Amino acid sequence: MHLQHPASRLSLSHLLAAALTCTLTYFPQPVGAVFRDEVGHIDYHHALLGLPQRETTFFHRPRRDDRASLLYTLSDLGILGAVHPGSGEIVWRQDLRSGGDDIYDDDDENVGDGDGFGLGFTRAGEGEGWIVSALGRAVHAWDAVSGRNQFSVRFDNGVVRDLEVMEMTEQEGGRRKDVLALVEEGAATVLRRLNPTDGSVVWEFREVTRDVPLQVSTNVEKVFVVSLKGTAGAYNLKVTVLDTLTGKRLDEMVLGTKADVHGKKDVMFVGANSAAPILAWTDDARQTLRVNVLGTKTRQEFALPPDTFAVEIHAPHLIQSQPHFLVHSKTSTGHKGEVFHVDLKTNTISKAYSLPMLPGPGAFSTSSSGASVYFTRITEDEVILLSSQSHGVLGRWPLKIGGSKAVAIHLVSEVIKKAGPEESYAVRSAAVTDADNWVLIRNGEELWARPEGLTGGVTATFAEIPDREELAKSLEQEAHSSPLQAYIHRVKRHIHDLQYLPAYLNSIPSRVMSSILGTDVAPTAGKLVRDSFGFHKLVVLATKRGRVYGLDAGNNGKVLWSTRAFKIPKGRRWDVKGIQADESSGQTTILGSKDDFVVLKTDTGDIIDSRAPNPEATTQGAALVDTPSGQQLLRIGPDGKIEDLPAARAPSQTVVTRTADGQLKGVIFVANGTNSRAFTSWVFSLPKGQRVVSIATRPPHDAVASIGRVLGDRTVKYKYLNPNTLVLGAVDHSSRMLVVYLLDTVSGQVLWVSKHNGIDASKPIECAMAENWFVCTYFGQYALRDNSAQSLKGYQVVVADLYESDKPNDRGPLGDAATFSSLDPIDVPTGVVLPSVVSQSYVLSAPISALQVTQTRQGISSRQVLAYLPESHGIVGIPRMVLEPRRPVGRDPTPAEAEEGLIRYHPAIEIDPKSVITHERDVLGVGKIITSPAVVESTSLVFAYGVDIFGTRVAPSFLFDILGKGFNKLALVGTVLALLAGVVTLAPVVKRKQVNMRWEAPM
Amino acid sequence: MQLTAFTLLLPFLSSLASARSPAQTSSSSSSTTVTLRIPPSHLLPNPHTLPASTRATFTTLGKALAAPLSVANTFVFRNVTPGSYLVDVHCATHAFVPLRVDVLRAVDSGDVDAAADVDGNVPGGLRVAAWETYRGNDWGNKGEVIPVTAASGPGEEGVVLDARAAGQKGYFMERSQFSVLSIFKNPIILLSLVSMGLFFGMPKLIENMDPEMRAEWEERQKENPMNALMGAASGQPANPIGNFDMAAFLAGSSSAKPDEGNGSGSGKGKGESKKKR
Repeated sequence: MHLQHPASRLSLSHLLAAALTCTLTYFPQPVGAVFRDEVGHIDYHHALLGLPQRETTFFHRPRRDDRASLLYTLSDLGILGAVHPGSGEIVWRQDLRSGGDDIYDDDDENVGDGDGFGLGFTRAGEGEGWIVSALGRAVHAWDAVSGRNQFSVRFDNGVVRDLEVMEMTEQEGGRRKDVLALVEEGAATVLRRLNPTDGSVVWEFREVTRDVPLQVSTNVEKVFVVSLKGTAGAYNLKVTVLDTLTGKRLDEMVLGTKADVHGKKDVMFVGANSAAPILAWTDDARQTLRVNVLGTKTRQEFALPPDTFAVEIHAPHLIQSQPHFLVHSKTSTGHKGEVFHVDLKTNTISKAYSLPMLPGPGAFSTSSSGASVYFTRITEDEVILLSSQSHGVLGRWPLKIGGSKAVAIHLVSEVIKKAGPEESYAVRSAAVTDADNWVLIRNGEELWARPEGLTGGVTATFAEIPDREELAKSLEQEAHSSPLQAYIHRVKRHIHDLQYLPAYLNSIPSRVMSSILGTDVAPTAGKLVRDSFGFHKLVVLATKRGRVYGLDAGNNGKVLWSTRAFKIPKGRRWDVKGIQADESSGQTTILGSKDDFVVLKTDTGDIIDSRAPNPEATTQGAALVDTPSGQQLLRIGPDGKIEDLPAARAPSQTVVTRTADGQLKGVIFVANGTNSRAFTSWVFSLPKGQRVVSIATRPPHDAVASIGRVLGDRTVKYKYLNPNTLVLGAVDHSSRMLVVYLLDTVSGQVLWVSKHNGIDASKPIECAMAENWFVCTYFGQYALRDNSAQSLKGYQVVVADLYESDKPNDRGPLGDAATFSSLDPIDVPTGVVLPSVVSQSYVLSAPISALQVTQTRQGISSRQVLAYLPESHGIVGIPRMVLEPRRPVGRDPTPAEAEEGLIRYHPAIEIDPKSVITHERDVLGVGKIITSPAVVESTSLVFAYGVDIFGTRVAPSFLFDILGKGFNKLALVGTVLALLAGVVTLAPVVKRKQVNMRWEAPM
Repeated sequence: MQLTAFTLLLPFLSSLASARSPAQTSSSSSSTTVTLRIPPSHLLPNPHTLPASTRATFTTLGKALAAPLSVANTFVFRNVTPGSYLVDVHCATHAFVPLRVDVLRAVDSGDVDAAADVDGNVPGGLRVAAWETYRGNDWGNKGEVIPVTAASGPGEEGVVLDARAAGQKGYFMERSQFSVLSIFKNPIILLSLVSMGLFFGMPKLIENMDPEMRAEWEERQKENPMNALMGAASGQPANPIGNFDMAAFLAGSSSAKPDEGNGSGSGKGKGESKKKR
C-alpha cells in the first residue's frame, strides 16, 4: 500500500506514482490473487447483453469497404453491444443504464414501462462507422468497431421517444448522415437534428401541444413527426411535416376519425427511411389494418385474418430499397404473411401476394441488399427465404436448433446472393427464441446460441447435487433395524455396489494420467455427481422474465436446465422474494411477491408444484426460518403482517418485518394448540426523517471456528457472537447523516449506534455482516472529528468488530454462561449486555456494491469481503485483515501486534488488481453475489448474477488443504524416479567399496 | 502552496491556483463542460488501446457524473455545476491518478484580482482548477497542479485537462517456476557446493604441491590438534582423504550437514532443493 503519511506532504506525485506502480505490478503479500493458468479452470463467466429487442437489433457493416458485418443490439436491460456473427462473441458492450451523464439517475420514465416500444432505440446509418443509441434522456453515438463514444447528448428535461438516422442529407453536407432525436419535454414535442460528429444541434423543432410524440420518419425530402392527438383511449394520428434543411413546419395533417387509435401499441409501424415511409395502425380488435403513406392524407384499409391477436410490419430501412413491406399477422393457431407494394408515383398501396398461413408460431425478418428486398420466414421446422417481388421461394432449409424444439420470436437476417451461374442464396439470421436464447441460424443450422435469458437474475441460490439421497436412506434403514438384519442389508448393498466396480477399474488409468498431467478428470458423462472437494454444486437462478435456470457450478457454469416458471408480460418483472433449496428433498422453492410460488426439482428443473401470480402484490418479503418441520420459507404479507400458522410450520425465531411506515417489527409465534399465533414482540421506530437504506444479518451458514481472538500477548478478546443481531443503515436526507444501528432481534434493543455525517444518500449505501463484525460502505464528505480543519471526500467503508468486553480475558457480565436471554435483565447496573465495539473507517479507491462475505465450512479460513466494482466491472475480494479495525493508528505495530497480523493503519485502501477475483474479465452489471462453503475448508464458492453470470472459487487463506494447479506432479514423479535411478546405480558402488574395506587388513 | 494546504481555505487556495492556470469557460454561467484527456505517456504509450469500458467519474456530495471514453481518448463532461469534484478514471487495464477538480464561480472566489485576471467582463463565469489528490488524506491537501486550458478544437467548449496514467494493472500472480538456476541460487546449495569443491579439490592440490612444501604442510598438519582428532579416527594421519568412507560420513560423522538442509531452509526453495538432491 502506497499511502502517504500526512506528514510527508511534499513527497510529490512522482513518489505516489512510483509507489502505485509498485503496488500494481508487484505485491509482496499476495492477497488471494488468481493465477493465469487457473483462468477458466476455477472460474466461469457468461458475458451477456440481455434479450435483444426486435426494433433495436440489426446487422451493420462497421467499415464501408469491408464486407464483414457485426450484429448490434440494445437489449431489454439497456445494454448496447456488438456481437461477432461468426463466433457469437461480444466485441464491445456499453451499459446505457449507467451511461450518459448521470450514473445513478434511475427515474427515466420509459425504462421498462412496457408500452410496446420496448426501451431505448438504436440506429445505424448505412455505410457509416458509428451507431447511435438513445435510452431515457441521453443520446449517444458509438464507434461501431471499438465501442468508444463519439458523442453524448443529454436532454435534462425530456425523454427521448424516437431516434432516426437521416439517410439523405443535403448536398453541401457531403456524406454526413445526421441523427434525428424526438424528445418529449413535458407538454412539448421537440425534434432535434444532431450532427453525428459531435452531437451539436443543427436545428430544433419545438411544438407545445398536449400530443404524445410517437415516432419520427424521413423520406428523401421531408421529415415526418408522428404523434397522437387527443385524449387517452381516443387518439387521432397527427403527422407534422418538416423541412429537412431548416426544420420548419411545412404541413400538418390529422389522419383518421376520432377515437381511431386507442394507444401507442395500436400503431404498428412507422416506416423508416424507405423511399415511401408508411404509417400503419389497427383498431383495438385487430380486424383491419390501416396504412398511410407518410406525406399523403389518404389511408387504405386491409382486412386482417380472423382471430389475429398481433400484427407486425416488416419493411426495409434503406432509401434505395424497393418500397415493399410485409404484414405478419399472428393468430392463435398459426401465422400468415402478406406482402404489399407501394407505388411511388401514385402513393397507392397494393397487395402483391400473400404467403400461406402456416400452423404454429413463426417469425419474419427483412433484409435488403441494394434495391432488392428479401423476407426470411422461420417456422417451427423451416427457414424460408423469399423475395419481395414474387412469391417464389428462393431458398428453403430445414431448421435445426440445438436438439430442442425452439420457436423463434423475432429475428434479423442477412442475405447474401452468391455469385455463380445459378441463383443461390445464403442467409444467416439472429433469432430470439422462446427459450430466451439468442441463436444464430445459418442456412437452417445453428451456429451459436447465447443464453441471454440468464440476464436479469433476481435471485439465486447454491444447491447440493441430490445424489446421496439413496445412500442416506439405506444407511438410515440400517440404523433402525436389528444388527443382524442391518448386517445382511449392508452385505447386500455392497454386493449390489460391485456392479460399479468394472467401470471404476476402467476409469483408474485415465484418472491417474489426468491427475499426473494436471488435466481435469473428465466429468462423468451426463451424470451429476458430487465431488469430494464440494466444488460441484448447482446454482438455481430465477430471472425477472419468469425463467428459472439450473447451472452447474462445477462444470464451468454450464446451463443444465431452464424452465419457464411463469409467463411474465413484457416490461413487467417477476418479483421474487425468496428462494430455498431443500437438500433432503432435492427441491427448490421460489416465492414471488404476488402470492405465487413454484417448486421444482433441483437437478432437472421439472416443476412439481406452482401457483401463478395474482394481479396484486400480497407479499412484502420472505424469510428463511427454522420451524419444527425443518427450514422453511415464510411469506410475509404487506405491512409486515404474518398470518397465523400451524404449529408445525411456525418459526421458532423472532421474525423481523417492516411495516408500511418504515418501522421494524419483531414477530414471535406462540403455540396455541395446533395453531401458532403471531404476536408483535417489539417495534423499532426510526427517528423522524430517517429512512432505512440497508439491512444486513449474519448469513444462515456462519461457522465460527473460535469464540475469541488470541492477541499478541496471549490474552484473548472474546467475540460477541449473538446470532440474533442485525445491522440497519438509515439515512437522514436533510442532515446528510447515516446512522448505523445494531439491533438485537429478540428484544428489539439497540445494541450500538454510530452516526456518520456528510453522507450522500443518492449513492449506494450497503452493509454486510458476518461472525462478530460488519461493514458498511457509503460516499462521504465531511470534516474530521478530531481535526475539523481537515476533511475527507470519497467512497468509504466502515468496519466494526463486536467483542464481549473492552478488556482482554474478560467475558463481560455474562461470564462463561452457556446461554443467555436478550429479554432477561442481568444483575448488573448497566442492564443489558452491550457489545464492546471497535470500529474504523477506510477510504476506498472505487465505489463498491453488492457486499458479501465469503463462507467456509468451519470458519477457520480468514474472510474476504466480496464486492462488485460498478465502475471497473469487476469483483474484488478485500481481505478482512486489511479491513481490520484494530490496526494501530499513527504508529507502527508493536512486535506483539505484528504477530497478530496487524499492520499500520492507513486511511486509504487502494483496490489492488491482484485482489480482483474477476481479473481481466469484464463482468457487467452484477446485482448480487452469493457464496457457499465447499467441503474443503480453504475454499468458498462464489456466484454473481445481474446482467452477467460469473462464478469462481476463492481461498482467502490460500489452498492449504488441497493441491493447487501449481503443484507439479510431473516434477514430483520425475524426482522420485531420478532418486531411484541414483540409488540403483550407486548401490553396487557402495557395496564394492564396503567389501574392499573389509578385505583391507587393519594396520 | 502545498505546505499551506492543511487549511481548508478553499476559495483562497483555488483562486490562487486558478490564477496560475486560468481558464474561462465560454458556456452558460451555471455550468460548464470539462474535457478530461488521456495523453500518451511512457506508462501508456498508446491510449487508443484502452478498452471501451473505460469511464471517468466526477463525484461530490449529492452529485455523480460519468462519461465513457471517446474516440479521441477524452471524457467529455457536460453541465458540470460549481463544486469540488473527486475525479477518477476507471479502467480495466491501467490505473490513473485521482484528481481534484474545482469548478468555481469567478465572483465567488473572493479574490478580486484573480477574477479580474481571468476575465473581468464576464461576471458569473466559471473557472476550473485541478490538482492531483491523495486518497485518504485531507481534501485540502492538494498535489501538483494540473494545467487547465480552454478548449480550442472545433465544436469544443469548456476546458481541457489531462489525466495521468499511474501504471498498468497486473491481475495475475506469477507462479514460481521450477528452474535449475533457482536451485543454484539457494545459499545452502551454494555452501554445500563450495565444501564439496574443497573436499575433492584439496587432495588434488596437495598432490600437485612440490615435495618440500608438502612435507612442511604435513608437518604443520600433525601439529594441528583438530587433525590429530581426525587422524585418530581414521588411523591414517598422513592422508585423511584417501580412505574416506562415504557411508560412514553420511551416517553420522557429519550430521551437521543434513541438519542444516532440513532446518534452516525456508519457503519453496527448500522443497525444490531437496527434490533435486
